[in-house]
Amino acid sequence: MWLELALISIVFLGIVILGNNRLGTMIQLFALQSLVLSATPLLVYPGRHAVVMAIVTIILKVFLMPSLLFWAIRHVAIRREAQPLIGYGTTLLLGGFLMGVVFLISSNLDLPVQETSNLLVPSAFSMVMIGFLLLISRFQAITQVIGYLVMENGIFLFALLLLENTPLLVEMGILLDIFVAVLVMGIVVNHINQEFGSASTINLTNLKD
Amino acid sequence: MELFLLLELPFVMAVVIFIVPQDGLRKNFLFLTSFLHVFAIISLWQRPHDLQFNSFLGFDALSRLILSFISILFFVVSIYLIGFLKEKRKRSNRIFIGCLLCLLAAMTLVTMSRHMGLLWIAIASTTLLSAPLIHYYRTAQSIEAVWKYLLISSLGIALGLLGTLFLAISAAPIQTIFLEDILSHADVLSPSWLKLSVIFLLVGYGTKMGLAPMHTWKPDTYGEAPAPVGALMSGSLTGCAFLAVFRVAQICFHAHLQEFVSPVLILLGILSLGAAAIFILGQKDFNRMLGYSSVEHMGILVLGLGLGGGAIWASLFHAVNNAFAKGLIFLVSGNLYRSYRSKRIENIQGVIHRLPATGIFLILGFMAITGFPPFGIFYSELLILKEAITDRRYMVAVFYLLFLSVIFFGYAKIILGMALGKPPDQARQDTRKENFFMIMPLVILVIILIFTGIFVPDSLYHLIDDASSLLGGR
Repeated sequence: MWLELALISIVFLGIVILGNNRLGTMIQLFALQSLVLSATPLLVYPGRHAVVMAIVTIILKVFLMPSLLFWAIRHVAIRREAQPLIGYGTTLLLGGFLMGVVFLISSNLDLPVQETSNLLVPSAFSMVMIGFLLLISRFQAITQVIGYLVMENGIFLFALLLLENTPLLVEMGILLDIFVAVLVMGIVVNHINQEFGSASTINLTNLKD
Repeated sequence: MELFLLLELPFVMAVVIFIVPQDGLRKNFLFLTSFLHVFAIISLWQRPHDLQFNSFLGFDALSRLILSFISILFFVVSIYLIGFLKEKRKRSNRIFIGCLLCLLAAMTLVTMSRHMGLLWIAIASTTLLSAPLIHYYRTAQSIEAVWKYLLISSLGIALGLLGTLFLAISAAPIQTIFLEDILSHADVLSPSWLKLSVIFLLVGYGTKMGLAPMHTWKPDTYGEAPAPVGALMSGSLTGCAFLAVFRVAQICFHAHLQEFVSPVLILLGILSLGAAAIFILGQKDFNRMLGYSSVEHMGILVLGLGLGGGAIWASLFHAVNNAFAKGLIFLVSGNLYRSYRSKRIENIQGVIHRLPATGIFLILGFMAITGFPPFGIFYSELLILKEAITDRRYMVAVFYLLFLSVIFFGYAKIILGMALGKPPDQARQDTRKENFFMIMPLVILVIILIFTGIFVPDSLYHLIDDASSLLGGR
């Protein structure tokens, strides 16, 4: 029951992120989504392993990553998406359509591992799809980073299926890698802003054949 | 002892370098670390091919082969860096050298990891550690290159992580993804999940390798990266990604899925060759051309894996020679940029008159990467063609030959024009002499190329034999 509730709120927050255009709000929504996400390991497999995962997730995804992203845009003047590649209405429709497809496919999947909830796999893939959509349809560098992070949240959900079989060392390594990715991306966003006076990747078109 | 020198020392040194205040001293630390790394590799050659340190780390013939050329290339580049970093710059080289050392540790970890999750972690960290290296000249173009590299690679790597999870799902009966366990229990893996996992892993690690159609970051990144970084990325980093693709093929081979994976690898290979052929013709920027050249050679590598049989041997042999040839031509490009202050082909003319030694190495590098007969790449390209013909894949052979000849024509037109053309007059007064640290690494690389390509030493021959037998090559 609680797991379903958590999964539904994660997917819901994903849709809200997709429909939002203010960078600050998006980062806060991402932090909220990660907070819900950090509870899921405890709901799936209560135990020491899950507690460690939850604590590390809260530290990295709820506190450090959002503050890094806020740091990266501290000098950014335009804090909203001016002209997305695909309009908001269309993105939301597309997101809904992709989620429908994902639910349809996932219900036919034959999983060799035991599922704790039949919502887990479809919500994981929905997050991957929404993240991907954010990544390709927006020009603000920060939005693209958030898209990447939402995608990673989806992968995190999927990994819950395997939580018991994965060595803790490997899980920590993966989380650390994602954190360093956000660190490097944040620094690069900062440089883009210094160089072009805005953090929009619409300026990044000098390199071509 | 070897484990410490290979894996931990570069990391410890990176920390030391953060504390050391002088720029000059840091270069010496870098050189020393890479020297010890090569030393550890040489001492490792005396040990048996399969060596297990613990359940996560170990060596087999493939990892030993790839780590050897990564380490040697890194050593040569670190000699080049002594001269390269001498140029006066306003900022300290702390982050640059720190990232280089961590990159060496991460690449070593890639080759040594015996767990598919650890392999993913190591590959992802090589991406993150190489990104700051590209932004060396701090121009608007280089920041654009870094962003594209980060975003496309991270996306690819995320798909690779999904692929790794799918692999773990398909390995649910054995409950682990240690390489040894997967290979020895390959029969019990669930085939449908394994197929899905293979597609995701190939797309993910293929992005890292720069295979078409996921190659779009490559010309931008190689075009903007400083020459020594370009040499490391196109020689060593692609070798790491190739190792990951090889591991995927290895799992497929043990699970009897060759019929499934071979066509995919062949398609990726031919697409990469085709993309390189189209964009090398009429290329205006020397370093971008080298980026496409790397796409071409990565295509040849996976084509060899896809064809199987003797082509696997050829593919591994090609990987070794490609690493040193790419190192050579990228370091030459560094010398050219230093003197001409441009990467545009139209501005770099008459190299042989202006920088005689670099000009000779430019032509040698051209011969090495296009596969002129004395060099090893000629031999491996020929072996792959032979395998395609004996395998009766005539269409593959036709496209392969067509694209290779177009690429050869493109290179010849550009590089011979650069080497032998008329030098621009107005730049005469800016001529700076070539120095020892610019030429010495090139000499070493040419000697290695001759050594690995022409007089293939017995130990190398057997090592490649052992590595190709992992995939059932002859």
